[in-house]
Amino acid sequence: MVKQFNIKTKYNDIYDITECVKKTVEESGIKEGICMVYNPHSTAGITVFSPWDPDGFKDLDEEIRRLIPTKVDFHHQHDTPQDAAGHIKSALMGISSSFIVTEGKLLLGGSQGIYFLEFDGPRNREYYVKIQAD
Amino acid sequence: MIKYSNPMSRQVESLPELIEQQYKDLEPKTRTVLTFQEIYNIQRIVLTGCGDSYAAAMATKHAFEMLTGIPTEVVSAIELSRFYCKKHLGVDCRNPLVIAISNSGTGARVSEAVQRARKYGCFILGITGCEESPLGVNSDKILQLDIPTFEGAPGTRSYLVSVMSLLLLAIRFGEVRHQYSMTQAERYRDDIKMQGKALKKLLPKMEETVANTAEQWKDFPCYDFIGAGFDYATAWFGQAKILEATGKFVMHINTEEWFHLNFFAREAKKLGTVVIANTTNPAHSRSKELVKYANVLHRPLLVITDGDASDFDEEEATYIKVPKTNYSITMPLTQFAPVCLLASYLSEILGETYGRGCEGDWEFSKNGAGVTNSEIIVD
Repeated sequence: MVKQFNIKTKYNDIYDITECVKKTVEESGIKEGICMVYNPHSTAGITVFSPWDPDGFKDLDEEIRRLIPTKVDFHHQHDTPQDAAGHIKSALMGISSSFIVTEGKLLLGGSQGIYFLEFDGPRNREYYVKIQAD
Repeated sequence: MIKYSNPMSRQVESLPELIEQQYKDLEPKTRTVLTFQEIYNIQRIVLTGCGDSYAAAMATKHAFEMLTGIPTEVVSAIELSRFYCKKHLGVDCRNPLVIAISNSGTGARVSEAVQRARKYGCFILGITGCEESPLGVNSDKILQLDIPTFEGAPGTRSYLVSVMSLLLLAIRFGEVRHQYSMTQAERYRDDIKMQGKALKKLLPKMEETVANTAEQWKDFPCYDFIGAGFDYATAWFGQAKILEATGKFVMHINTEEWFHLNFFAREAKKLGTVVIANTTNPAHSRSKELVKYANVLHRPLLVITDGDASDFDEEEATYIKVPKTNYSITMPLTQFAPVCLLASYLSEILGETYGRGCEGDWEFSKNGAGVTNSEIIVD
């Protein structure tokens, strides 16, 4: 099964989608299998991060910006500098993550949350949760 | 059934198709004509041009400021070439950005203005249909216009293309500088694109109403065009078209200044008064007051608006509806259509030749010689 979710994002923001993914797994009725979380965009990412310290998200944002700064001399000039940087961030961070489903639940560590990363925005975005039985 | 038809009215009728065609041409060009670096470098903008191009600059100045937050001036070509303070040219690494508009690119004064601005270190973006023209060769970058040829008439199609190119540039600058999202930029662009269909729908009624007005106004010795902000640009453009098409006396003034000056004119019953007054214009309340007092003076009144009589307290006037846009800044793209029709029908009814046919005393202006043959002084 596959389920689509829509979100309205702000510029360069992070969205916790852990509960949506967990609930989708539980509602699927699938006991053992694989869950894939996927976003069909090229300026957004999916990642796993620790939810416990809110300042950690600031670090994540700052480090991503430090590694891939928004600059004006990108070769890709069709859209905007933010968009061009967003493409690089998305390519490096990845647009999907896979998880183990066992005993009808998502197998996540205690310090693991699933996050949708907006590298441009504000946008109307979507992401998909696909669950495949063994 | 269209009562009158001449090259100018046929140019107006071609505008819906021209919008679609030119949008396809200009949207990608305005994306790439300046690099991110060049767009981020802009501290100030000077829009310059002569005649219709000057009107197009006035029509879009507010769009540049509202969308980009960059201070923007409209400076006529002779002001920029002979009077503009040198100390304010070439500052802050090639600022201001001078955007010079001329479809032919051959106007002597525009050429002189960009040569002077460049001499003192400004960055020049030329908007022209001719890369090899004096404007083209004196520009750092060129936004190349490609307007399909049509029957000659006082600039109608070229004005629309100038306004569209400037609006698309303003949207692009704001988008790149992250004043709004790419999605919002697309909404602004859609507001331009949709006006072709909207104008097509309104044209039959517009033609009928303007034809009736032209018949009633044909013997008037003078006309008065009024508007504020971006609507003033259309008023200015309207007076230009009447002059070109009929050779009659015409005035243009902004809505506030009318109360200081033009309302004193005698023979008010023979003074065709055209008010450009869109409901979204920040000066709409003043336009309403003007319509009221123009009626007190018994002036024949034509109100060009995206609304109707109810937006003007049901004041007596002939109302002409132009496309209603989602964003007031894009209104100038099509709101000028009725003023071109008025000029066109008046010239047809009066049997006038555009530009006096450049004959007799006007022969010196043949082939644009009056504006192209002029001594260039770059000081």
